[in-house]
Amino acid sequence: MASVDILQTLGNKYSAEILDATDEPRSAQELSDELGIPIATCYRRIDELTEHDLLELHDNILSDDRRRIKVYRRNVETVHIDFEESLTVSVEERSEVTNKLDEAWRTLSEG
Amino acid sequence: MIETTETGIDGLDEILNGGIVTNSTTLVSGNPGAGKSILCLQFIYNGVELYDEKGIYLTFEEDARDLQEAAESLGFENWGDHVESGDIKIYDKQQLLRENDFSSSLDLLLSDIEGAGYDRLVLDSLAMFELFFEDETEKRTYLLKFTDILRKNELTTLMTNEQGAVFPETEIGLENYLTDGNIYLIQTPTESGVSRYVWVAKMRKQNIETDIFPMEIGESGIRVHQNASAFSLMNEDESPI
Repeated sequence: MASVDILQTLGNKYSAEILDATDEPRSAQELSDELGIPIATCYRRIDELTEHDLLELHDNILSDDRRRIKVYRRNVETVHIDFEESLTVSVEERSEVTNKLDEAWRTLSEG
Repeated sequence: MIETTETGIDGLDEILNGGIVTNSTTLVSGNPGAGKSILCLQFIYNGVELYDEKGIYLTFEEDARDLQEAAESLGFENWGDHVESGDIKIYDKQQLLRENDFSSSLDLLLSDIEGAGYDRLVLDSLAMFELFFEDETEKRTYLLKFTDILRKNELTTLMTNEQGAVFPETEIGLENYLTDGNIYLIQTPTESGVSRYVWVAKMRKQNIETDIFPMEIGESGIRVHQNASAFSLMNEDESPI
């Protein structure tokens, strides 16, 4: 059941902190350092959140030592949980306008 | 030699030293009624009629019919035909502001920008476009990204901006720094009507005449006078707007 899945993903330790911190794009290493999350756990949480479209790969940036680093940004603005009829979890996504411009711009720099 | 894109507006290309720098974004600023939309209509229409360049006209301010009426009132008889044939592509207020639907219009727009062979684009107005972003940082970031997308896809762009000329008490918007060119349309009331001027304050990569030139809005649109002697003629033609 998708709704329960999302709640579970959100409820996992550090998930909320990661979403809170990824208003601006952050790398796994930055999140691990800033939030004190063991790096392996950090990667696992990022995968789970990305699978549920709560977080998204924002860009592959070039680090100071010329390596490619993945940075992630949260894809969700608000989550509503409704028990009235049956359990429904609705996720309000971030502005699609910015997402689309980001995407178009990213394609440019790759091309 | 810098490549330029001619506006086809009498006198304006001359003071621009040939035209607007190709693939750049220029902000056209002025108070309401200063002639921003007329300049943009001429830019797009002349593009198709005189230079065989297709154009996209994005307007949050008007719907397609108002736009066509405005064009026809300037004597642009073939506007409707060009829209029908796709040489002029309109994204009007109704389409862009349909409930929360800017993002799906944006999909269409981006695909037009990326591969449909358009050379010119007008965005009327920048202020409305900026409403889709949350704060100053976001506005700045996405204006830069958008102009970058336009440049890389080889579009020469005019964006309108509700802003008077920069005299000391007027605040200079950040937009003026983020775009490649700045053209101000200025109108001042006089006893017999209104005096109009154009000032090209900035055109990156281009040597331009930075003086303020008198202009008029006549029946067939904007006309810029390159010398002060034409100045006295300015109030003879009644402005259509």
